[in-house]
Amino acid sequence: MTATQLRDDDTVAPADSTPADGGPSPNGTAAAAPAIKRRRLGWPARIAGGVCAAFLLAALLAPLIAPYDPLTDDRSNRLQPFFSGGHLLGTDGQGRDVLSRVIWGARPSILTGLIPVFVAGIIGTLLGLVAGLGSHRVNTVIMRTLDVFYAFPAVLLAIAIAAALGSGTSNAIIALSVILVPPIARLAESEVARIRSAAFMEAARVSGAGWWSIALRHVLPNAAPAIVVYCTALIGLSIVYAAGLGFLGLGVAPPTAEWGLMVNDLRQFTFSAPGISLVPAVVILIASVAFNVFGDGLRDLLDVKGDGR
Amino acid sequence: MTRFLLRRLGLAIPTLLGVSFVIFVTIRIVPGDPVASLLGPTGSPEARAELTTKLGLDKPIPVQYVTWLSRVGQGDLGRSIAKQTDALPYVWEAFRNTITLSLFAAVVAIVGGIALGVIAATRRGKVASAISSGVSLFAVSAPQYSVGLILIVYLAAGQGWFPTGGMRNTTGADAGTTLDLIRHLWLPGISAALVPLGIIARMVRSSMLDALAADFVEALRARGLPEWKIRWHAFHNTLPSVLTIAGLQVGYLLGGVIFVEVVFSWPGLGLVVFQSISQRDLPVIQAGVLVSALAFVVINLIVDTLHGLLDPRIRR
Repeated sequence: MTATQLRDDDTVAPADSTPADGGPSPNGTAAAAPAIKRRRLGWPARIAGGVCAAFLLAALLAPLIAPYDPLTDDRSNRLQPFFSGGHLLGTDGQGRDVLSRVIWGARPSILTGLIPVFVAGIIGTLLGLVAGLGSHRVNTVIMRTLDVFYAFPAVLLAIAIAAALGSGTSNAIIALSVILVPPIARLAESEVARIRSAAFMEAARVSGAGWWSIALRHVLPNAAPAIVVYCTALIGLSIVYAAGLGFLGLGVAPPTAEWGLMVNDLRQFTFSAPGISLVPAVVILIASVAFNVFGDGLRDLLDVKGDGR
Repeated sequence: MTRFLLRRLGLAIPTLLGVSFVIFVTIRIVPGDPVASLLGPTGSPEARAELTTKLGLDKPIPVQYVTWLSRVGQGDLGRSIAKQTDALPYVWEAFRNTITLSLFAAVVAIVGGIALGVIAATRRGKVASAISSGVSLFAVSAPQYSVGLILIVYLAAGQGWFPTGGMRNTTGADAGTTLDLIRHLWLPGISAALVPLGIIARMVRSSMLDALAADFVEALRARGLPEWKIRWHAFHNTLPSVLTIAGLQVGYLLGGVIFVEVVFSWPGLGLVVFQSISQRDLPVIQAGVLVSALAFVVINLIVDTLHGLLDPRIRR
C-alpha cells in the first residue's frame, strides 16, 4: 500500500463519518469505514516509507546491487575497516563483505518478518469474523482461547515453539505467525462487532443474505482497512522478532546471511572492530524504526487503535 | 475487596491451565519419535513397546496432559538433557537473577516513561514535546539486542565507564558488593527498559492530554490554582491507566530480557534458554517459558489488585 493510494481514498471517503451516524450507502462500504480524516501522511511517515521501500528493493535486487558474493570468505582480508579496498562497510571475521551480507541478508530477514504478518493477518481475520458474527458461545470459545496467548510474553512463546520445532526459516515463520494471530484476531473481532450494529447489516439480514455473503460482502470490506493498517504497523515488530530468533540460532543456518545471525556472529568483535560489529544491529534498528514510523503514520491517518503491543 | 481478590484469583486458574496446555503442546510438536531417540537405532520392538508404556505415550492425549500436569504441579518439569539435573531448580536459580534485572529495568521504564510522557503532554507544540515524542517512538522500535550492543561499544568497550557484561566482578575492591551489582545493572537495565519506556511514555502522554482537557481542570483553573498544581491533579487521574499498561509492559520485559541477557552475559533465565537452544535441551526451555509465564500471570494479578485499591469503581 502506498501513500498515494491512501490519499486517493481520502477524497472518496466522507470526512467525518462515524459508523453510528453515517447513513447507509447501498453496499454499506462508505458508511462503516473507519473515520478517515482529511489528512495526509506526515513527512516522517513518508521518509520512513521511502526507507522501507529501499529495504524491499535491496532484498529484491540483491544479486544485482550487492558488490560481492555474501558467502565467499577471504581469510587474508579479515575485519577490514569501513571504506577499505572497495568494502564500503568493511569485512567480517571471515573476510566476507559486510555490505553484501547486509543486502543479501535483507531477503531472509524481511521475508521471515513479512510472511508471519501475512499468514497471521489471514488467520486472525477469519477468527475475528467467525467470533464476531458467530453465536455468543462461539465468540466466547474463540476469544477466551486467544486470551491464553496473552498470558505469555510473546517473544518467549515464539522461542518455545521455534525451539520445539527445530531451527529453520519455516519454523521461525510458524512460531511468529502463532504469536501474531491473537492481537490481529482481537482487532478484527472488535471491528466486526462495531460493524455488526450498522443499519446496512440489518438490511442485509432482512433481505435474506447468508452467513458467508454477509461476512465476505458486507463485513470484510468494512473491517479490512483497519486490519490491513494494523498489520502494517506489526511488520516492524515482526522483523525485530524474526531477527531475534535468528540471533538466538533459531532461524537460518550459517553461513547464510541473515541480520539476526550476523548480529550474533559479529558481536565477538566489539573490542577489535567496534564499528563493524554494530552494522547488522543498526540495520535492524533502522528497519524497525522505519516500518514502525510508516505503520504509525498509516494508523494515525485511518485512526485505528491497536492494543498497545 | 476480599471478594474482588477471590474472583480475580479464580480467573487466574483457567489462564494457568491454558498456559500449561500451550506448553504441553510445544512438547508434543517436537518432530521425531521420542521413543526412538531415547532407545537409539538398536532398540528391539519389545523394548520400544515397554518404553512407550512407561512414558505413557500409548495413552490418549488428554490423559497424557493430565499426567504431565500433575507432575508439573509437583514441581517436576523433567530433567535437563545437558546438565543432567532437574530442570526446574536449575531454571529457578537463574530466574532470580532475571528478576533482579527486570525489576531494575521496570523502575527505569516507569520513571523514564512517566517523565517523558508528562513532558510530551505539557509542552505541546514545543521542541521538548517533539523530542520526547520522537524519543518514545524510537524507544518503542529499538530491538533490545541492537541497543545492548550499541551501549556496549560506546559506553563499555570504548569508554570503559561500565562493565561489558556479567553480573558481579570476581576480583577488585568492590567485588560482590551492591554497588558493583548496580554498576553491572545499568546498561542491560536500560537496554531492557527502552521498549516498555516508550510504550509507557505514549500512554502517559495520551491520558495526560485527556485529563488536561477534562472539565475539572477548567474548574481548578477558574479557582486560580497554579499551573503545576493543576498538572499534578491531572497526573493523578492518569495513574490507573498508566498502572495497567506499566504492569503489562513489565510482564513483557520478561520476554525481551532474554536478548539483553545474551548480549550482556547476564546469568539469568534468558542466557540459560539461549544455551539450551544450541544443545536442544527442551525440558529447560519449557521450564523457562513456564516460569516466565507464571511470573507474568502473577504480575498481572498484582497489577489488578493495585488497580482495585486505587480505583474503587472496578471493584464491582
